[in-house]
Order: sequence, then C-alpha cells, then structure tokens
Amino acid sequence: MDKPKINISFTLIAAVVGFMIAIQFQTVKKPVERDTRDVWQLREALLKEKELQSNLLNEIRSNEEKLSAYESKRKQSKEQTLRETLDELKMEAGLTEVTGPGITLMIEPIVEDIKLGYPVTKVVSPELLKRLVNELNMYEAKYVAIDGQRIINTTVIRDINRETKIDGHSIRSLPIEVNVGVDSINTAEKLSNRMKVSKSRDEFFTESLRLNVSEANPNVSIPAYDNPIRIKYMEPIKEGGGS
Amino acid sequence: MWLPFMGLVIGIILGLLTEIRIPEEYSNYLSIAVLAALDTLFGGIRAYLQNIYDEKVFVSGFFFNIILAASLAFLGVHLGVDLYLAAVFAFGVRLFQNIAVIRRILLTKWSTNKEKVEKN
Repeated sequence: MDKPKINISFTLIAAVVGFMIAIQFQTVKKPVERDTRDVWQLREALLKEKELQSNLLNEIRSNEEKLSAYESKRKQSKEQTLRETLDELKMEAGLTEVTGPGITLMIEPIVEDIKLGYPVTKVVSPELLKRLVNELNMYEAKYVAIDGQRIINTTVIRDINRETKIDGHSIRSLPIEVNVGVDSINTAEKLSNRMKVSKSRDEFFTESLRLNVSEANPNVSIPAYDNPIRIKYMEPIKEGGGS
Repeated sequence: MWLPFMGLVIGIILGLLTEIRIPEEYSNYLSIAVLAALDTLFGGIRAYLQNIYDEKVFVSGFFFNIILAASLAFLGVHLGVDLYLAAVFAFGVRLFQNIAVIRRILLTKWSTNKEKVEKN
C-alpha cells in the first residue's frame, strides 16, 4: 500500500473536516453570557439607563426649543422684512421724518426794497415755488419741505384766494425756509452750488424776493408729511399685468 | 498515521482563527456536511485498517457524501419535510458501525500483539 499518498489526501481531507467542524462550532456556539448581577447591581444599571433616558429627554427638549426658536425667528424675520419694506416705502412716500445731508434755502423779502418804500411782498407765487421744486428735483433733491410742509409726489402748490397753499398749508408770512435733503454730502454741496447760480434766484428776485442758499449741511431735518395720502384712484396690480 | 490527526487539528485551529461565521439559516447544511465528512473520515480509517483503502473511493465519497447530504437538507427545507434527519440517521448509523469496526480491529490487533508478546 502506498502509505505517503494515503496520508496526504487523508490529511487534507482531515484538515477540511476540522475546518468545517470549527466553523460549525463557531456558528452554533452562541456567547451565552449569564447575567450574574444581583439586585443592587441591577438597580445601578437601571439607574444608569434612567439617567441616560433623562439626558436624552433633555436633549430632545432642548432641540425642540431650538427648533421653535428658529421657527419663531423665521417668522419674525418675515415680519421684519415686511416692516423694513414698509419703512422704506414710507420713507419714499414721505411719511417719515428724514435727517440727513442737505441744504436750507431761505426765501425772504428784499430788504433794499423796503428801504425804498415799496410794499413788502408777502406772497410767494405758486408758480415760483413749483419752479423751485422742479429745479431742486432736477438737481437730485430727494426730500423737500417748504415752510415745514413736506413736498411729496401728490403735493399741490396752488393759489387759493390769493393765498399760496401747499396741500392746504398756506404761506402767509415771509421769510420761509425750504429744507432740501439729498443722499450724500457731496450731492448736497453740488446742489448748493447749483442753486446759488440757478434761474430760480433771478426769478425770485424779479418778484422782489431773495433766495438765500446755505452751504451744504450734514444734518438737515425734513419733517414728515402729516396729512393722510389719498389713494382714491390707486389699485393694486392684478397678477398677469391687467392694469 | 499521525499526520491525519495533525491535519484535523490544523484545520480546527485554522477554522477557529479565521472566525468565519455562517449565517444561521445555512448552519443546518454545514452540520449535515460535517456529519458526512466525519462519516467518510471514519470510513476511510476503517478501510485503511482493513487494508481495502482506495483513495479514489475515499476522496469521491467525501465530496459526494457532503453534496448529497447538503442537497438532501436543501430538498427537505423546500419540501417542508425534515429530510436532513434521514441523512443524520444514515450517517449516524454508519458512523457508529465504522467506529465499532475500527474498535474491533484495534482490539484484535492489540490482543494479537499481546499474545505475541506473551508467546515471546
């Protein structure tokens, strides 16, 4: 009999069998770990678990709080944006008091005429004021108030019974002050220089009025428009651009 | 003669070291295969002791028995009958028979050796 040959194949197969047995043993063998803890150890373990649970609950609570905080912040921020937009719009519409760089114009009677015995001009004609406002707007004036009366887009300057009225506010006495606000101090300087050489000055002079133009002032306050703005003919734009 | 046992031991050590785990649902197949392999192994030992050992028979029997046992188990699982019990029974019986034969052969060998020693 060929002994070594037998042994080799036999050994190989024996190894395979051993391998299989080991694997089967490992697969079947479950780590049976007996619970040998006594009551106190169990209680300790329970305590630990409860602590863990309460920690987890705390975490959940704090997370929920955070969540609600974020939620409310989000809501508030929406509100905030709306408010900001509203403020911007109000500012644009002239419903807020504005303080910023600008110039001040003084309209006063010509002193020399008084000395000569001419009657004092008390009335500034609405045309003059309109031209003045137009000119100011031309030179990038943003906020204009004449005699404390804010000029807005719907402001009317007109003559009612020989009284110049700006939105119902009559200008009776001279001198009057015109406050003009602009975006920046540079623009204010430019505006001041332009107004000093403007046509309005000549026009005022022909009506025996003097227009004094101040230097650029970093803090000119323009009052808010105090009457309600009528939006009788205003309609919201319908979606699709109907009107 | 000791080489096969060495192989067995090496195989067991290897198997324990590799930490291969077979999924629970396949452990049945492996157990039946192990049984078949053991049966073949003891059959081989018995044949060797009886001097009728044939390597081809042994090797082919090893694989064939394993495959047959596994497929029986597989069939049993799919038929809903515990067919693998048949394999277990068959292999178990053969295992006992083989071991009994081996024991007797070894006993006779041992007794003849003893007689020889006594005669001398």
